[in-house]
Amino acid sequence: MDEISVVGQVVGGKFGDIIIRQKSGSNLEIGDLMVSEENGSFLILQVFALEYGSQIQDKMQQMMSGVTLEQGIVDAQFYEPEFVNYVLARIKPLARVYKEKGEVKIPKSLPLFFNKLRLITKDDLKFLHKEKESIFVGYIRSGSKVIKEAEVWLPAQDVFSHHMLIPATTGRGKSNLVKTILWHVLDTNKVGALVLDAHDEYFGRQGVGLKDHPRSRENLVYYTPSNPPAGANRLTINLQSIRPEHFEGIVDFSDPQFQAIRMAFRKSRSNWIRDLMLTDAVDAGMESSSPARGEFTAATMMVVQRKLRLLLSLEKDENGVIFSRHDVFDSTTKGLSAVEDIVKNIESGKVVVLDTSRLGDEAELLVGNIIASKLLQKYKDAKASGEMDRKPVATIVIEEAPRVIGVDVLTTRNDNIYSTIAKEGRKFKVGLTAITQLSSVIPRSILANMNTKIILGNEMKQEREAIISSASQDLSEDDKNIASLDKGEAIITSIFVPFAMPIKIPLFEDIVKEKGIQRDTTKTKVF
Amino acid sequence: MRFAHLSDIHLGFQKHEALQKIEQDVFERAIDECISRKVDFILIPGDLFHVNIPEMRVQKFAFKKFREIYDAGIPVYVVYGSHDFSPVSNSVIDLLAAVGYITKVTRATSLDDGRIKLDFLVDEKTGVKIAGLSGLKVGKDHEYYEKLDRDSLEAESGFKIFLFHGGISEMKTDSGMDGENMPLSLLPRNFDYYAGGHMHKFNSQKFDDYPRVVYPGALFAGYHSDLEDNAKGQKRGFVLVEFEDKIKNVEFVEIQNAQYKMIEVNAENRIAESVNKELQDKIREIDPMQQIVIIKVNGEMTSGKTADVDVSAIRDELNQKGALVVNINKNQLTSKEYSITEAKGANKEEIENNVFAENIGQLRFEQKNLIGESGVQLAKKLLAGLIQQKLENEKTADYSARIKENAFGIMGLDKDAS
Repeated sequence: MDEISVVGQVVGGKFGDIIIRQKSGSNLEIGDLMVSEENGSFLILQVFALEYGSQIQDKMQQMMSGVTLEQGIVDAQFYEPEFVNYVLARIKPLARVYKEKGEVKIPKSLPLFFNKLRLITKDDLKFLHKEKESIFVGYIRSGSKVIKEAEVWLPAQDVFSHHMLIPATTGRGKSNLVKTILWHVLDTNKVGALVLDAHDEYFGRQGVGLKDHPRSRENLVYYTPSNPPAGANRLTINLQSIRPEHFEGIVDFSDPQFQAIRMAFRKSRSNWIRDLMLTDAVDAGMESSSPARGEFTAATMMVVQRKLRLLLSLEKDENGVIFSRHDVFDSTTKGLSAVEDIVKNIESGKVVVLDTSRLGDEAELLVGNIIASKLLQKYKDAKASGEMDRKPVATIVIEEAPRVIGVDVLTTRNDNIYSTIAKEGRKFKVGLTAITQLSSVIPRSILANMNTKIILGNEMKQEREAIISSASQDLSEDDKNIASLDKGEAIITSIFVPFAMPIKIPLFEDIVKEKGIQRDTTKTKVF
Repeated sequence: MRFAHLSDIHLGFQKHEALQKIEQDVFERAIDECISRKVDFILIPGDLFHVNIPEMRVQKFAFKKFREIYDAGIPVYVVYGSHDFSPVSNSVIDLLAAVGYITKVTRATSLDDGRIKLDFLVDEKTGVKIAGLSGLKVGKDHEYYEKLDRDSLEAESGFKIFLFHGGISEMKTDSGMDGENMPLSLLPRNFDYYAGGHMHKFNSQKFDDYPRVVYPGALFAGYHSDLEDNAKGQKRGFVLVEFEDKIKNVEFVEIQNAQYKMIEVNAENRIAESVNKELQDKIREIDPMQQIVIIKVNGEMTSGKTADVDVSAIRDELNQKGALVVNINKNQLTSKEYSITEAKGANKEEIENNVFAENIGQLRFEQKNLIGESGVQLAKKLLAGLIQQKLENEKTADYSARIKENAFGIMGLDKDAS
């Protein structure tokens, strides 16, 4: 190591909290990555705190300050200031890299005492090579410096089946990250994804989006209820696809209400919602005056009808045909195979984006529930018949995840499909990619199962604590680091990376500019 | 004013003589019905024939019938389907067009900026404007529709009809036949009527910006599963549309084809002996005289071979009792004892599809059209092209050249480059 690249020297501390003295002029930053070279290996360390150090006592310094401030002496200076005053950085070891084998291991020893350290370079990060079928998430970041040559790729099949959590508050680059991830999922057919896009922001109806990927025609399927652009599908789900259990864990129905729903299903089977909505509660003899029949009160029936009407935005036209105001649900013959088609697309390793921006919260979750239930069942069947290996990993991307896996939801209502997937989906290659501002309301048991977390900036202490306590690597010293993450900066903690990696996520627009589809303006041969 | 809309007639599909007769008879009756109902024109959006060059027997009766329509002064507007398509205009469709019995609708020109412009043709008598695209070469459908100069099509005034051949995802009623559908949004908007072909069941729907999208369905049968659907009560026929400046009425005109008897046996968790017994019992309950008998056995038996389910004896017995045709489907019958991993499917088309999909999934090629869904479609087209039989009196050299030329066309290759 040449002397010019030295940024500091180990002067004390203990394991996990090593103190180095910064070389004058180095200007270390929180999050900076540095290297301590040792025999046959090197340690990667990270700055987590910075403080001043001085050879002059505090009182003396304060007195000197008084002299310059109060007596107007402008040219007073320390004698050899770089020796006297300096910065101490507290650093922690992240990884030990064995040069010969390129192995990366969790460090168990201190750097050599008085060893000189330098900032990390691209050559130190050669172990970060892209493996087959992996997804790009960003570049290694040392403090605020981005090492563009060190790209971070995650093994797609592993990270998605073991669930991914993206905790962040608004404006920290969440959707940019999700788009970047999905962009790379589109490269291959090894991962299928269902994306419930509550803001209709991923496809790129206006501006750039996933549609600009060179393989979007083969691998991207976009469903929208309104005015689909050429090539996109109309999101219409036939009411026949909905079964009573799809409401479980999503909608608050009382026991009698659920009973009424199940009864309607038993009676009419596939057309149960249509028939139920067209039933006159009183005429149907469901009054409380017939308790012997064990049926429900007219009031219960009416509440069920009202809830379904609101939830699915159902109305009745003059011919008595049930339709939904946002056109997503249909009671006639449209959308009969939509769920099956969507699931098949996911099973073929495609990314299916559902524009749910026109749906209410519960309706969005219900749509996701119908599809996710079918998907999980198919994967379970595939496992039972030994055909699992042929299937790609499937992930369900869901925003505001506590709506379905929050503590309050899971304790007051029955399990829903999302919590089932969070708990057991891994066995069947089905995972969740959960995006949330509030990690603290997701039960620890579920948080701990999310084995990859891409942590974006978060100013809420409680949320940071929840993330830190469930991280795959020790982030106990990273509270301030997380709080100070700028837009597009993130920390990846995962069982699939050797250490908690600080990254910079590139701007999605730049990726599209560089790799996006080029409009074909050559003359087309016509028949 | 009124027009008729027929599609997926698949002339030349049937191999069994009795079914060939029905195929011809149904076609002739449908045309007679169009003539007697005095339609102003007839639309046929694809798969009029099952292959681009059907055997002479088929061509003979088809020409005779089209001559009758011509003599009645009824124009017929056609686009190629996925079966009678020929990339080198080497289809009997082109022959019919050349003699003036039918008119090919597709009038496409390639613009300098890569877009494709489609021109309308105008029906002389009614003034209706008609545009359309054929069922195209593998994987090209999406590309063509994406490149369409939609603005000029959508801005055109007057009563407009769009002919197309391809499945529309939003109109699928079951999940069979994967990978061959496109979203409705690929079709240009604001036509008064969308005359579809390719989906084999009658379906008529209204959507925003697409006031009427209609598939009349197959006239008799173009897939093996169609006969099964017929046996289950699927009605076959064509669509008669009344219109002035807007569509006034869409009527499905049923054309009866045959009498059917359907026998289904669930072999799940059973042994061959009991399945055979149930089959015997069931066929004795029916009178198969002059009937098309469809027998379907499915499920996973607990032991034995699937061949132990003895269909030949059943077939013989039914034939002796005067059955017109006996069609036995054991494709979904498996046995735990002799289970092998193979591509599954409910019928020949699905199995073909799955076999190709599974095998193509193992391949790595640079050329994107050889892998994925387009690879599957290409393989299927190629198979369909290669299994065409030699025509009567056709010389081997001519046959060979024809098949080769067709195959090169399907693959989008220049034969001279080989």
